Amino acid sequence: MKAILTAAIALLWLAGGVASAAEPPADPLKSVMWQQMYEKHFADKPVVFDDRVSVIAPKSAEDQTTIPVTVDASALPGVREIVVITDLNPIQKVLSYQPTQAKPYIAFRFKAEQGTPVRAAALTEDGVWHLGGIYVDAAGGGCTAPALAHGKPDWVSRLAEVRGKVWRKPGQSSAKLRLRIQHPMDTGLADGIPAFYVESLEVQGRDGTTLGKLQIFEPVSENPVLTLKPQLGPGDDRVIVKGRDTDGNLIDAVVPVNTQASALDAKPSPIR
Amino acid sequence: MRINAVSTKPDSIAAMPMTRDAEWAQFTCAMASRRAFLKAGLAAAAVANLPAAAFAATLDYALEATQIAPDTYAVYGAQEQFSVANGGNIVNTAFVVTDEGVVVIDTGPSLRYGEALKALIRKVANRDVVRVYITHHHPDHMLGNQAFEPSKLASTETVIANINSEGEMFAGNMYRLVGDWMRGTEVRAPGTALTTSHERFGDHEFEIIPLAGHTSSDLVILDKTTGVLFAGDLAFLDRAATTPHADIAVWQQSLDQLDKSPFKLLMPGHGPAEESHRAIEQTRAYLTWLDRTLKTSIRNGEDMTEAMASPIPQEFRSIALVRDELGRSTSHLYPKYEEQMLPLVSGRS
Repeated sequence: MKAILTAAIALLWLAGGVASAAEPPADPLKSVMWQQMYEKHFADKPVVFDDRVSVIAPKSAEDQTTIPVTVDASALPGVREIVVITDLNPIQKVLSYQPTQAKPYIAFRFKAEQGTPVRAAALTEDGVWHLGGIYVDAAGGGCTAPALAHGKPDWVSRLAEVRGKVWRKPGQSSAKLRLRIQHPMDTGLADGIPAFYVESLEVQGRDGTTLGKLQIFEPVSENPVLTLKPQLGPGDDRVIVKGRDTDGNLIDAVVPVNTQASALDAKPSPIR
Repeated sequence: MRINAVSTKPDSIAAMPMTRDAEWAQFTCAMASRRAFLKAGLAAAAVANLPAAAFAATLDYALEATQIAPDTYAVYGAQEQFSVANGGNIVNTAFVVTDEGVVVIDTGPSLRYGEALKALIRKVANRDVVRVYITHHHPDHMLGNQAFEPSKLASTETVIANINSEGEMFAGNMYRLVGDWMRGTEVRAPGTALTTSHERFGDHEFEIIPLAGHTSSDLVILDKTTGVLFAGDLAFLDRAATTPHADIAVWQQSLDQLDKSPFKLLMPGHGPAEESHRAIEQTRAYLTWLDRTLKTSIRNGEDMTEAMASPIPQEFRSIALVRDELGRSTSHLYPKYEEQMLPLVSGRS
């Protein structure tokens, strides 16, 4: 509903000919919200649409509470930060990722209140925001539905539980880290349930060096699952994960690095 | 959002190139959507030089009965996903003409379909409906229930509970996906919970076989008189199986049981009726591949978008909608498998 109102207001602005602060480049996704998105998130900053920022997601969401997205800006050199925004969600900002010592790559899942453009903006060292995006169609209600966790008796005892694994080919610095954090990720938009979500996460090397930093917002799906590609040193036999939610509950995990794993090498051949 | 107050002709909308307006109508808001649909309706009316209201009458499923065994008719749906063009008719329904009356298996995706099915039965058999078995709670199989007498509608207690808890959500989504075909459709759970293992209607005896796996309760009916096995969505043929409520291990056990059943003809929920066990074998092989593919992707460190792009083996490439259904099934199953398979790493420092 909020998104609809905002959309309507944006349309009124356009119809009324209210002058904007700056003229954004034409939006390949032709979103009615683009002007407003630009002013809200990138006002007065240089913005370009750039194919090197790849956003991969299904065209149509099967489950509007768990829409998988992969953002890969590896083709773009010097990425400082990746911000993911959704035009037509009541809460537009999904996450912000600083791949300090990692490839500019992140996979995650988000909740959609309705079909929406999903945009990834990659900030390069020269201060330019490079945008990629895709439109995902979805049924309604992903943000305003209560988390499934509230129907399960063990949600408190397992809160902030982390599951995960690192895949690393022998002799290579680039690794793949997958994390699953048990958390209801309440948006605050479901009746009677205040916002309660994981808000920050940091991935560190064994000596505490920051590999990547994440700011996470309400639209990230319940029990967030993240895939990152940190760069590891030869001696890194573990990755440390630290974070907190909006109530101050801590997330704390140590993920062993298994250099024996060769499973990353090949996709298995189909059966028979 | 229910677009049920607009009279227009969905066929012509589907055939029209999507204008930017119409595209946006799908996701801006109900008002805009209604406006675009009206506009499309008016355009169609102008072309045909007919009042827009006349188009409501042209939404016709044009159902056909195909005799597949003595007294037994299949009503085949398209091997497609739900769309405005097919009105949700992607499902098989069936009926058996006994000398006591007609026994129906599943009622289709909408009130309009249910009524068309009833009219077809009247035309073919000219007898009253004495029983309607509902195989499971998915919308394409039960949203036509409204056209039939509630006490004649029967299924397992769990299917009835599933319809009561999830039916409204399905109906809402169907209005979104197929539009005006759904007009007037409301969720009706069967009035009879089956408790016996057999029911006899006239000269036909039906075995009631409660199984599970495609959903938490899947009702299979074996007509002992003709040997026709109505397998519901436990068996798909030449159309990829769907998994929104699936437990694959349980489903495989049910397929083993169907394999042992002494049927002469198997009528799947989607795909052609055949004397062979092909539907069972194909569904089993597909589910085995699907399960293995998703688990292997997790073992290899892939995320959902990568698993969705997994190659389709040669043997499944001729099956309709495999790529689509791999994507949907990844959404249904991957998060559960990740929870089971990714090692616990918190509480170790």
